[in-house]
Amino acid sequence: MSAEVVWTWVAAGLTLSMFSFLYRDNPFFKLGEHLYVGVTVGYMLTVTWFEYLHPKLWLPLVVGTETGHDWSLLVPAFFGLLVLTRFVPSLAWLSRWSFALLVGFGAGVSIPRYISSNILSQVEGTVVPLWAGHWGAAVTTGVILVGVISTLVYFFFSVEHRGAIRVVSRVGVYFLMVSFGASFGATVMGRNALLFGRFYDLVDFAGARYYHATLVLLAVMVVSLAVWARWAGRGGGSEAPQA
Amino acid sequence: MFLQRQVPLAICFVVGVVFVFQDFVPHHDSEQLLTVFTDWGIIITGFASLLGVGSLIQVHWLHIKRQNAGWGYSVVTYVAMVGTLAAGIASGGKAAPDAQTGVMPAFGWVYNYTMVPLQGTMFAILAFFVASVAFRSFRARSVDSVLLLVAAVILLVGNVPLGEAAWRWVMPEGVPGIADVGDWVMNTLNLAVRRAILIGVALGIVATSLKFILGIERGYLGGGD
Amino acid sequence: MAMSRQVLARREVWAIIGAGVLIPIVFSIPATEVSISKGVQAVYDKVESIPPGGSLLLSFDFDPASKPELEPMGRALARHAFKRGVRVVAMGLWITGTSMAEAIVRESASEFGKVPTRDYTFLGWKPGGYLVIVEMGQDLRKTFPADFNRNPTVGMPVLDGLDSLRDFDYVVSIAAGDPGVEKWVIFGRQKHGFALGGGCTGVIQPGLYPYLQTGQLDGLIPKIRGAAEYELLLRRGHGIPEGLASAGMLSMSFAQLALVGLIVLGNVLHWRSGKGTGR
Repeated sequence: MSAEVVWTWVAAGLTLSMFSFLYRDNPFFKLGEHLYVGVTVGYMLTVTWFEYLHPKLWLPLVVGTETGHDWSLLVPAFFGLLVLTRFVPSLAWLSRWSFALLVGFGAGVSIPRYISSNILSQVEGTVVPLWAGHWGAAVTTGVILVGVISTLVYFFFSVEHRGAIRVVSRVGVYFLMVSFGASFGATVMGRNALLFGRFYDLVDFAGARYYHATLVLLAVMVVSLAVWARWAGRGGGSEAPQA
Repeated sequence: MFLQRQVPLAICFVVGVVFVFQDFVPHHDSEQLLTVFTDWGIIITGFASLLGVGSLIQVHWLHIKRQNAGWGYSVVTYVAMVGTLAAGIASGGKAAPDAQTGVMPAFGWVYNYTMVPLQGTMFAILAFFVASVAFRSFRARSVDSVLLLVAAVILLVGNVPLGEAAWRWVMPEGVPGIADVGDWVMNTLNLAVRRAILIGVALGIVATSLKFILGIERGYLGGGD
Repeated sequence: MAMSRQVLARREVWAIIGAGVLIPIVFSIPATEVSISKGVQAVYDKVESIPPGGSLLLSFDFDPASKPELEPMGRALARHAFKRGVRVVAMGLWITGTSMAEAIVRESASEFGKVPTRDYTFLGWKPGGYLVIVEMGQDLRKTFPADFNRNPTVGMPVLDGLDSLRDFDYVVSIAAGDPGVEKWVIFGRQKHGFALGGGCTGVIQPGLYPYLQTGQLDGLIPKIRGAAEYELLLRRGHGIPEGLASAGMLSMSFAQLALVGLIVLGNVLHWRSGKGTGR
C-alpha cells in the first residue's frame, strides 16, 4: 500500500471526523479539533523559522552573508526579545518598549495612508458630476450619493434622530438591509464552495484507487458513534450543535 | 516607573510623529528610514506572533499537568505539534515533492492530508448552519426584512448558472439578466453602504492612531495604565 | 418558526443542502456556462495586455479554509500568465497557506514547462501583514532576501528590473480576509500607483466594491463564481480546459436554489400560520 493511499485514509478519516459534529460533539470531532491545533502550531513554528527567523535574522546577523554581518539587525532582535519577556511576569513591562515601537510606527504609517485611500479617494468617488452622458449612470451616481450620506447619518449618534435626520437615517437603514442581504447571498456561496471542496475530495477518496476509504471509514464511524452514544447516554456529556 | 511608563510613551510618540511626516517627505533618506523601520517592524512582529503560540503551548501543558477533564486531547495536540515540527525540520520547511525523485516529504503529507482537510472541513460545516438558520429565521415581517430577503435571493439566484438560465426562461425578452441585477445591487446599493462604513472606520483608525501617538490611548501598555 | 420546524427539522435542511452539493459531484454532471461580469473581464484583459516577458505579482493571502473558493482562481491566473509568457512572482501573507500557494504556482508552472527562478519564483511568507506590503514598495529584495527554495533574490533572472512594487506590470491579491486586497490598496496601490486587481471570497466581496468604483482596484474576481468566469475566459481565449471552479457551478446551483426554495417555504409556512398577518 503506497504512502498516498495511507495518507488518503488519514485525510478521509479526519474530514469525516470534523463532519461528525453535525451529529453532535463527540470524541472523533474533539480528536480532529485538537489534532488540527497541534499540526497548525507545528506548521507555523516550522515556517516561522525557515521563512522568517532564519533568512531575515539568523543568517544576516549570526551566520553572516557575502557582505558580512548586518549588525543593525541587533536593534530589532533586541526589541523582538523584549516581546518575549511577556512570559516572565517580573520582566513583562520591558515588552512595552517593543509594543510602543510597533504601535507608534503602525499609527504613523497608517494615518496618511488611510486618509488618502479610505477617506479622500472614497469621497472623491462619491462626489462626481451627476450627468455623465446617459441616464443609467446618472441614476447610479445619485443612488450612491444618497446611500453614502444616509448610511453615514444613520451611524451618526451625536445628534438625536428626529425630524429630517430620522427620515434620512431611515433611508440609510434600507440601504443597510439591502447590503446585508447581498452580503448574505455572497457568503452562502462562499460556504457552499467550501462544502463542495470537501465533498469533492471525499468522493475522490471513495474510489477503488483508495480502496473506498470514504465509504469504509463512514461505516466504521457510524457504528462507533452509535456505540459511543449508547455508552455515553443520550443526555450525557456532549451537546448537539445549535443552529 | 519612568522606564515602565514614560519611556514606552515617548517611543510611541517620537516614532509615530516621525512616520506621519515621513509620508510627505519623498527624499531618499526619508524613504531609506521607512525601509529600515519597516524591516525592523517585520522582525519584531514575528516575535510578537510567537507570543500566541507560546501561550497556547502553556495552556495545553497546564491541562496535562493538572489532568483536567479531556487532558488526553491536549496530549494529542502536543504530539501533533512536535511531530509536525520534527517533520518540518527534517524537510527544511518544504512540503513539496523532491524535484528529482518526486518523493513527498513527511511534512508535505502532514500539511496536505491533515491540516488542509481539517481546516477546510471546519469551515465547510458552516454551510449547513447558514442554511438551517436562513430557513428558520429569514421572514418577510417588515419593510426592512423584505429588502434584506429580496437582495439575498437576487444574489443567491444570480450567482449560479442554473439561476441565470431559469430567470432568462421566465422573464420576457429585454429584461436584464439576474446576474446583471445582482451586479448592480453589489456595485451601487451595497457599494454606498460599504463606502460609508469604510469612511467611518477610516476616521476611527485615524483618531485611534492619533490617540496612540499622543499617549491618550495606552491599551498596548497592558494592565495598570 | 415552530411550523417550519415541524415541516422540516434542522438535519433535514442539512440533508437537502448536502445532497444539492453532492449529487453533481457523484454523477459528474457538467454545469452550464456562466455569464462574465465586468470585474472578472477587467482582470482577464489586464493580464492579457501584459507583454510577454512582463511581470505579474500574485499574492496568495488565504489559507486552506478558503481553498475551494480561491485555489481555482490562483491556478487560473497563474496558467494565464504562464501561457502568455509572463513572468510570475508569487508570495503569501497568510502563514498557514504558504505550502498551498507554493504548490499552486509550482504545479501551474510545470504544466507549461516553466523553469523556477527564470520564469517564476515563489517568494514565500513573511510576518507583519501590511508591513510586508510597505517594505515591498520600498525594496523587494530586502523584504525577501531569498525565495522559498532559498535561492537569493539578488541576481535572480525572473526578478530582473523588479526592485519594488511599482515595477510590476500587474499585481493581484487573492484574499480571504485581512491582510488581503484592502491592505494592498491602502499600503501599496495608494502610494505607488501600480495596477492592482483582486480575487476574493464571498465573505469579503461586498466590502471591496468601493475600491473598484474609484479605480483603486481595476478588477475583481469574486468567489468560486468569479473563478469559473475566469476559467471560461481562459478556455475561450487560450483553449485551457476549465478547472474545479467550473466543475462546482452545478453544485452551487443546486444548493443555492434549494436554499431559496427553503426560504420561500419557510415564509409561506410562516404566513399560513397567521403570524405574518398579525393574527
